[in-house]
Amino acid sequence: MAPNVTEILFALGLGGRVVGVTRFCDHPPEARGIKRVGGLVDPNIEVIRSLDPDLVIAFRGNPLRLVDRIGKLGLPVFVLDIGEGLEALFPLIVKIGRVTRSDGRAETLAASLRRRLEAVDEVMAGVGTRPKVFVLLYGQGLWTCGGESYVDDLIGRAGGTNVAAALPKKWALYKRERIIEDDPDVIFILARSAKDFAAGRDWLAQGAGVSGVAAVRSGRIYELDENAASRFGPRLLDVLDRMARLLHPERFGGGP
Amino acid sequence: MSRRAGRRLFWVTCLALALAGFLLSILTGPVKTTPGDLLRFIRDPGRVEAAIFIDLRLSRAVLAFLVGAALALAGAILQGYFRNPMADPFVVGVSSGASLGAVLAASLGFEAAAFGFSGPGLLAFVSGLGIVSLVYVLSLRRGGFKVETVLLTGIAAGALASALTSFFLFMRSDSYDQAVFWLLGSFQLAEWGQVASVGPWFVACLAAALWLARDMDLLALGDEAAQALGCPVSRVRKAFLAMSALLAALSVAVSGIIGFVGLVVPHWVRILIGPAHRPLFAASALAGGTFLLYCDLIARNLLAAELPIGVITAAVGAPFFLYLLHKKR
Repeated sequence: MAPNVTEILFALGLGGRVVGVTRFCDHPPEARGIKRVGGLVDPNIEVIRSLDPDLVIAFRGNPLRLVDRIGKLGLPVFVLDIGEGLEALFPLIVKIGRVTRSDGRAETLAASLRRRLEAVDEVMAGVGTRPKVFVLLYGQGLWTCGGESYVDDLIGRAGGTNVAAALPKKWALYKRERIIEDDPDVIFILARSAKDFAAGRDWLAQGAGVSGVAAVRSGRIYELDENAASRFGPRLLDVLDRMARLLHPERFGGGP
Repeated sequence: MSRRAGRRLFWVTCLALALAGFLLSILTGPVKTTPGDLLRFIRDPGRVEAAIFIDLRLSRAVLAFLVGAALALAGAILQGYFRNPMADPFVVGVSSGASLGAVLAASLGFEAAAFGFSGPGLLAFVSGLGIVSLVYVLSLRRGGFKVETVLLTGIAAGALASALTSFFLFMRSDSYDQAVFWLLGSFQLAEWGQVASVGPWFVACLAAALWLARDMDLLALGDEAAQALGCPVSRVRKAFLAMSALLAALSVAVSGIIGFVGLVVPHWVRILIGPAHRPLFAASALAGGTFLLYCDLIARNLLAAELPIGVITAAVGAPFFLYLLHKKR
């Protein structure tokens, strides 16, 4: 009942056994052909029951009362939480592997993802200057990720500092004055498309009142795939690679 | 048409509508089912069909009916209690108070269950009753009992409670679905356990209300006249107030705030069968249950995603309220 779970199931080669997904499950593209049971907060119990699944996997964001109701129907429900930071991704994959009897494949996937994480950690070891980073979730207003978000962890591992790290929330609306005061060196825009990214960049340069900020002046505004970055799944490693290369091109032997 | 025939027609129509409503509720939903499927299920019950027909659809229909009946009965009681046609559980603050209690319990993680209620349900009842008593005491302080004072105090207390409810919902960032549930109501998560915790209380309140209905008729003459005619006014008033608070708070505890049922249904019924309280109470309960059953049918079948039921009852109830208001002028 969450796009990242669908993604992990497909990554484990279990795509063929998935009978229902949410309307947000669009990766990999094959997932779009599967029966939709509703959204993250409004999956339809009746549709789920009619699919007669052997297992329902719920994730943080699915209303607990709803999860509880599905359990009372006699369906086995496995509830997963997001955990702290990127490290939590590996046990998550292993757990999904265990409940789907794919332990071996899950261990392998988790290990290979962990190697990629360690590779980035290695490159970033002893990094001197940490650019100040602001992440903008494209849309209405200055939404950013606070210190409790795994995106904050991504920024840290990629060799940057999240200017909004002090916010005790996952996602929060940031104040304009704070950005001007923080003066971030780099801004990442989480955008759904190149068009959204361009619109977000133009908005920062003109409409947002933050045109004096270092990142806007130097043009270090980069696009991140919102679809990959907003899902706690395997593609976060791609996002991490991209962030690291953009923040510290010198450590990757030249430009990104 | 004589009054008696009119009443009989009302009861027959209402019962027929209610039965049709239950049948429709069992047959419609996001999963397509036909009457043939239902017949086949009755002959040869399958596991999946049992879950969909009985565990999901029927429990939901029964709960919607019970809550509708409870709200309409609470409304009928309060309108008699205040001798004012504009009273309902919403206006005197029970609903808002109950939802505040439930949300508070949920945010504090108060989950202890007792007497068949969950923690939020229990606190909903206590705070619903609390706010009514508060409103009552505040209005009594200035010597006499003035209906306007009670209603206005209730509206103010209710607004305060709703504001606090919104505040607590807002403090929890992951509570969008909770906010919709507590502010607009839904039967999406209905289950037999809820039916079992509301049902007996509702039946007890209905029986008590019918038993005390004569005294309510006397109260309509004014407290002094009623006292002179042998009605134990203050005891009867307390009993009715407690019943209406219990009914409204129970409803809120299982389905969130659902507006307008308590206000509108007793009016329809009064126009159709007259103001005597005994038939009024019974008929309001039946009509309220039927009304909410159909509202829930609309809420879950109108669009692909479910609508909060408060949206439907208000969409039907508000125009009627306006009509009533202007007809009275």
